[in-house]
Amino acid sequence: MSLSKEEVRHVALLARLGLDDDQIERLEGELNAILDHINQISQLDLDAVEPTTRSIPVVNAMREDVVRPGFDREMALLNAPDREDGAIVIPRIVGPGGGDQ
Amino acid sequence: MAKDRLTEVLERYEAVIGLEIHTEITATNTKMFCGCPVEFGGEPNSRVCPVCMGMPGALPVPNKAAIEWTVLAGLATECKIAPWSQFHRKNYFYPDMPKDYQISQYDLPFCADGRVVIDVDEDGVEERLDRETADNVTITDDGYAAEIGITRIHLEEDTAKMIHIGGAEGRIAGAKKSLVDFNRAGTPLMELVTEPDLRTPEEARRFAQKLRLIWLALGVSDCSMEEGSMRVDANISLRNHGDTELGTKTELKNINSFKSLHDGLAYEIVRQAAILDEGGRIIQETRHYDVTSKVTSALRSKEEAHDYRYFPEPDMVPFQFDEAFVARIRERLPELPDARKARFIREYGLPTFDAKVLTSDHEMVEFYEEAVAAAGVKNAKAVSNMVLNDLSAYLNTSGLGVLETKVSPQHIAELVGLIDDGTISSKQAKEVFTFMTESGDMPAAIVEQKGMKQVSDAGAIESVVEKLMVQFPDKVAEYQGGKKGLIGFFVGQVMREMQGQANPQVVNQVLADKLDNA
Repeated sequence: MSLSKEEVRHVALLARLGLDDDQIERLEGELNAILDHINQISQLDLDAVEPTTRSIPVVNAMREDVVRPGFDREMALLNAPDREDGAIVIPRIVGPGGGDQ
Repeated sequence: MAKDRLTEVLERYEAVIGLEIHTEITATNTKMFCGCPVEFGGEPNSRVCPVCMGMPGALPVPNKAAIEWTVLAGLATECKIAPWSQFHRKNYFYPDMPKDYQISQYDLPFCADGRVVIDVDEDGVEERLDRETADNVTITDDGYAAEIGITRIHLEEDTAKMIHIGGAEGRIAGAKKSLVDFNRAGTPLMELVTEPDLRTPEEARRFAQKLRLIWLALGVSDCSMEEGSMRVDANISLRNHGDTELGTKTELKNINSFKSLHDGLAYEIVRQAAILDEGGRIIQETRHYDVTSKVTSALRSKEEAHDYRYFPEPDMVPFQFDEAFVARIRERLPELPDARKARFIREYGLPTFDAKVLTSDHEMVEFYEEAVAAAGVKNAKAVSNMVLNDLSAYLNTSGLGVLETKVSPQHIAELVGLIDDGTISSKQAKEVFTFMTESGDMPAAIVEQKGMKQVSDAGAIESVVEKLMVQFPDKVAEYQGGKKGLIGFFVGQVMREMQGQANPQVVNQVLADKLDNA
């Protein structure tokens, strides 16, 4: 399995990274090196090995349902480039995206 | 749209419908991953913190209560609770989610493989043409019941609320700019996904209504479709009867009422059928149902398919829930609507119809239970009559909700008690009821104040009857000559003489006695 330049461009778009042709070229090599490494691991018989997604053997870390102070409103809006009635103003939404909410 | 058009289409095509229902958990004090309060409305960005605004370095910690509510919701819909579960990151760029990912669940949700039974009656029955033969359908006295599979229930965080300025109807198309409010961001959000087991718009509506009733019985959410705490999306495709492959589906989004869910699906079924009839192809797309024009239209088409690149949320450890944990949550299960309906029939002796209507409205059924508790089980049917007739009629004409009137369950119980012990007649009770809705005074006080007490004293009634017999000798003769129906005339006269305060049963007895033996 290896990535084409087109796929690298697609991944860059998903990550909203603006890359020029040189960068695409370089990343194609780097990403394929990583994929080669994964492919090597895939050759091994790992049926008996649990997937490792975390390095600590801890489960059920939760917090109690207790209110804690958050931002005051001025602080919350401090970095907003523009605001209106306490809401953050964003420019017209263009292009693909959006969740399924 | 004409109903028979839908039926005609359903005769030729089978509709396959699945629902995705998002419900905000409004029962928790705080948001899913931070300690900000969960409330509706308020000044924009007044309940926010670094976690729910997605500030770099902020560390989300899952809310134990929200997870327990989700497990409870799973148990109420007969789901299996996963012994091993975890959160995933769902990656996408949109201003309602400034981390650029939503913390959600992917292949290891908390609940999976459940079921909900829906009841369909009245007009909706005819839409299901294969009801006699379908595997998941049971015919009932007044329609049919259908078992609908639940694929999964997972937990995620709600997004920020956006208001689009400059476009039509606040929609994004044509908007010049948008306003973002993070108060809603991070609210615990349950997503329930059904199997594609629904076959008619009516079944979809009944499912959503049933689920809402279950959630309300649990108390997990206020389930307000207007305020957006319950949001229904529907997938719909058509295929030929007997086919097992699914057709190409469209998705209906932004449905804000049960009626729109039904009507939007009905429209979509007819629309898709028209395309297929002409040999056309259905385009897989998201559509919006507009309640004013009563049509669906495509939302701005996505220029590329979603590629969410889910991966395990590295900020959180997994969850391992043992049977003891699940058993402890199971103890919190309240009586669910179906069980309550059965109990009303069994223990209160209510007709199926009463039990069904009462349990189809959460506020109404709670009101009813409270009134029965005060009036006693022996008066359960009388309370049901008063709630379903007098109170419902008043709610209809006044436009008020059950909890918005001056009439409390205690009012109803006391009024039923006054009829039960013979203090007033049912007819007088209707007057008392009207006074009650206006003043909020207790029925006993109204009866006292208006001097409405029923006269059950046979002696007093006898003297009125004797007077009338002298006054109407012709009628007495006719009655005695066999025109027994004239008793109604005499009852009316007695009531008029006694300003409606005579006990009708005693009046009937006295009249029969006097007229027959005169």
